[in-house]
Amino acid sequence: MIVNFNTAAWVAIICWAIGSVLSLLANRTRILKLPAFVLSFAGSAVMAGFIAFYWSALDRPPLRTLGETRLWYAALIPLVGFLVEYRWKIGWLKYYCMALAAFFLGINMLHPEVFDKTLMPALQSPWFIPHVVVYLVGYVMLAASSITAVHNVYLQLRSKGDHTGESVSHYLALLGFVLLTFGLIFGALWAKEAWGHYWTWDPKETWAFLSWLAYLGYLHAFRYKIDQSKLQWYLALAFLVLLVCWFGVNYLPSAQNSVHTYTQS
Amino acid sequence: MMVVRRQWFQTPWEFRESALFSALAVTAGFAIQFAASGNGIAMPHLPFNAIALSLLAAIVLITGLVFRNTPVVKWFGGIPLGLCLILAIALLSLIGGVVPQQAAAKSSLPALFGLNQIFSSWPFALTVLLFLANLGISLSWKLVPFKPQNIQFILFHAGFWIALSCAVVGSGDLQRLVVPINVGKANNLGYTMESDTPQQLPFSIFLHDFSLEEYPPQLLLYDPHNDKLLMNKSQAILEVRKGTTATWQGIEVLVLDYLPYALPGKDGIPQPAARAAGIPFAKVRINTASSLREAWISTGSPLLKPDAAQLDGLYLIMVPGTPKAFRSAVTVQDTKGHEIMANLEVNHPVNFFGWKLYQMGYDEKAGRWSKLSLIEVIHDPWLPAVYLGFFMIMAANILFFWSGIKRTEAKK
Repeated sequence: MIVNFNTAAWVAIICWAIGSVLSLLANRTRILKLPAFVLSFAGSAVMAGFIAFYWSALDRPPLRTLGETRLWYAALIPLVGFLVEYRWKIGWLKYYCMALAAFFLGINMLHPEVFDKTLMPALQSPWFIPHVVVYLVGYVMLAASSITAVHNVYLQLRSKGDHTGESVSHYLALLGFVLLTFGLIFGALWAKEAWGHYWTWDPKETWAFLSWLAYLGYLHAFRYKIDQSKLQWYLALAFLVLLVCWFGVNYLPSAQNSVHTYTQS
Repeated sequence: MMVVRRQWFQTPWEFRESALFSALAVTAGFAIQFAASGNGIAMPHLPFNAIALSLLAAIVLITGLVFRNTPVVKWFGGIPLGLCLILAIALLSLIGGVVPQQAAAKSSLPALFGLNQIFSSWPFALTVLLFLANLGISLSWKLVPFKPQNIQFILFHAGFWIALSCAVVGSGDLQRLVVPINVGKANNLGYTMESDTPQQLPFSIFLHDFSLEEYPPQLLLYDPHNDKLLMNKSQAILEVRKGTTATWQGIEVLVLDYLPYALPGKDGIPQPAARAAGIPFAKVRINTASSLREAWISTGSPLLKPDAAQLDGLYLIMVPGTPKAFRSAVTVQDTKGHEIMANLEVNHPVNFFGWKLYQMGYDEKAGRWSKLSLIEVIHDPWLPAVYLGFFMIMAANILFFWSGIKRTEAKK
């Protein structure tokens, strides 16, 4: 990846770090609340700016390699944390989200990728951006849902479980499921135009279908009024399937001929 | 939460009975697969598959509506069985997601149980059939009596029913054939991936021209002793242009001149040439600790050998860029007198009376000079039905998203 990345990444990480510290202090000193938010938000804004800059330098959307998708996660995950705080007044999620974003940037700094402008013809499609972005945002929601569920399980074990936490993990899962569905169908419509058929059980498709089924199962279990506190375990673990789908697929024996393996440079 | 422990098969049936039933169905499927010595299920063609599917739909809907108060039917259309069948489909898909889905020795364990072609195996088909029944029955209850607040449920479940059933049943009618054509020739024979025997198409394709556009060539440093390409300091792919610079350990390279289409001249200096014949040439200045020199390097072509610059046991080479776009100018014609001219390109297929034509490939060894184009032609009469299902699911999801927000608003 090009030189400016390290600078941008450090600036973002420092913004998130100081923002987090100020936010913790803001519990006592209310006046720090605004600067804390502004700094935390600035971290994501820096990454968003970097993505825009990188996009124009590459002459193609930076969505082709795993490292490039990590840039998007780093920019988007903290936003979900801020949204949850705004919507449900739950403050702790944003710390996890910012830490996760910093972790993604750290991976990119340790494994710099080759700056490569080429984009194979099959990816030159109007479907490329909606398909990948819908999935990115969906994964971000489900990651946040899973973190919330883990937190809920932890609270339950200390007999402190509360309803708000459960409704956050549920709503994020619902949102994530809607986006997964769109991603899956956009992918199918694109596949018909580019590869001739909408569904070929390519390993990535199979795993995307599995992840979709996992959350479909969750929504039905929820609907059947299965104990919400038990379902937190389900939500916490369902994300593991997504992780396999996201990058584990590359390492499976079945994926040798997949059209979806990210270019490893 | 239920506190009293239920007995097995105590009505109303719930998860235990559903799990047992699903497990039995999957086991039965594997048993059938084994008894059929590993041969999967063969889908019937039109009109038989359409008749069978209509019958299934009718039976499911009528059963759901007529026996809606019968305990067994209530259980059959309920969430516990639905969840267990979703889990069963997920587990079968998991096999398909881990075991490579390709031909295996007839007597091997995966082949005998259909694990290497799980999505056309008996256990998968049986589970999907039961799932369609479960889904269909639950749908029938929401359809009659119709209530506007059920629209989201109906769109999602009916959409899923239609997309899944038509995709599965329609696979029998899906035709995918590859038509190889040389420039200036026509072909009306197509090949499937599985067989070498060509099939007659109801139309012929004439190839006027095949053209391929490449990204700019790349500059690389090759180490023949370790058979490795050495990464330059900027960690970027080096696109060759006039003025491109590159640095490796102790080696500096500057591109002084670049001719995208040229041919070797008499005195060793390349001369610009026509696009069709020319190959990329670059004049480079190489600066090492011990020397400063200039050289012409080229990518080579099927007819010309490439020129590389040797330096201290390493080679500075130029390789052609990866394909950016490739297209075939064709005329498609059937016996009824229909005719179209079109440019086929990846991601831009062309329709021809129920068929879709795709630019698939070319002679990769010849690259830009390929005289062969591979066109894939596809006929899938069930596609509109599957797409109808997709669009219903998407519409339902927009409603789901919306009502999801509203519900949490209400809770607050």
